[in-house]
Amino acid sequence: METLDRPAVRKLMAEVVAVQGKTLPDDDTAKLADIGFRSLDFSELALRVEDEIGDELNFEAAGLRSIETIGDVLDLLVEIQGQ
Amino acid sequence: MSDFEPIPPASVVLVSGASRGLGLAIVTDLLERGVKVAAFARTVTPELEALASKYPDDTHVGSVDVTDEKAAQAFVKEVEAKLGVIDGLVNNAAIGQDSLHVHTSSDRIAQIIETNLTAPLVLTRFVLRRLIGKGLRGRVVNVTSICGQRGYQGLVAYSATKGGLDAATRSLARELGGRVLANAVAPGFFASEMSAVLGANQLESIARRTPSGAMTTPEDVVPTVRMLLLEQTNINGQSIVIDGGGSI
Repeated sequence: METLDRPAVRKLMAEVVAVQGKTLPDDDTAKLADIGFRSLDFSELALRVEDEIGDELNFEAAGLRSIETIGDVLDLLVEIQGQ
Repeated sequence: MSDFEPIPPASVVLVSGASRGLGLAIVTDLLERGVKVAAFARTVTPELEALASKYPDDTHVGSVDVTDEKAAQAFVKEVEAKLGVIDGLVNNAAIGQDSLHVHTSSDRIAQIIETNLTAPLVLTRFVLRRLIGKGLRGRVVNVTSICGQRGYQGLVAYSATKGGLDAATRSLARELGGRVLANAVAPGFFASEMSAVLGANQLESIARRTPSGAMTTPEDVVPTVRMLLLEQTNINGQSIVIDGGGSI
């Protein structure tokens, strides 16, 4: 399975945020709450990653509850691709 | 004058998903009240084994996957041979979900529906055929969930199965009028289950928002299941919510 590396996922995340008229901060420690990145935005990002890698990413919701920063999102999506 | 004859208390009860939690609590309660109990689960736990040892003449315990139709039917026949015809059924076996619908595989959705909806319908059909064919009467209690009546994130397929089982309960009550009392209990979220996915602060917050001040425990649900199986109430086709008022 093809996978996207962290910078590629970050690029897609920036596109999701841009659609909402916002700019993704460069700092990975930036809080999701501060940029208004919600669970459905995570879903949209995950589905965009799926489109790129040509495979489904199915995962439990438990992991989503602990993400708080941009870095957490990137870490989780890189991790899910490896499963 | 009506020729109404009350449906007698269940005397031989089959409980699916009986190895732990609510299922185990129901088995324990019924045995303590002298009811004969057949219990199966995918894995027979030491706790269930201990009950079987304590009540050897009143129990029949086995390792059965509820989705294995042939194994479940063979188990029912074993129960008849040892304890008598099953006249009480508690459909408790189920699997959970904690994933957003768009990130749940189609295979997982099919598995949830097979375990939580198809399997109990098929087991109910088989038990009722044995019961009605012998001219007997009985009681069915389906364990559903508040998810069958209210919406919750991450539980789309699970909620569909529980709502489906609530609907089936009502139709069973209509279809079997006079011969079988069919009801459901719909618990709120068990603290023990939620603690696996939520933190202590979140659990406390849910408890605070619940009018009774506490999340549901299996012990809260057992008395209602007992009543539906053993008491003369004329409750039929109902889904009784047990959630501390959290959904009102």
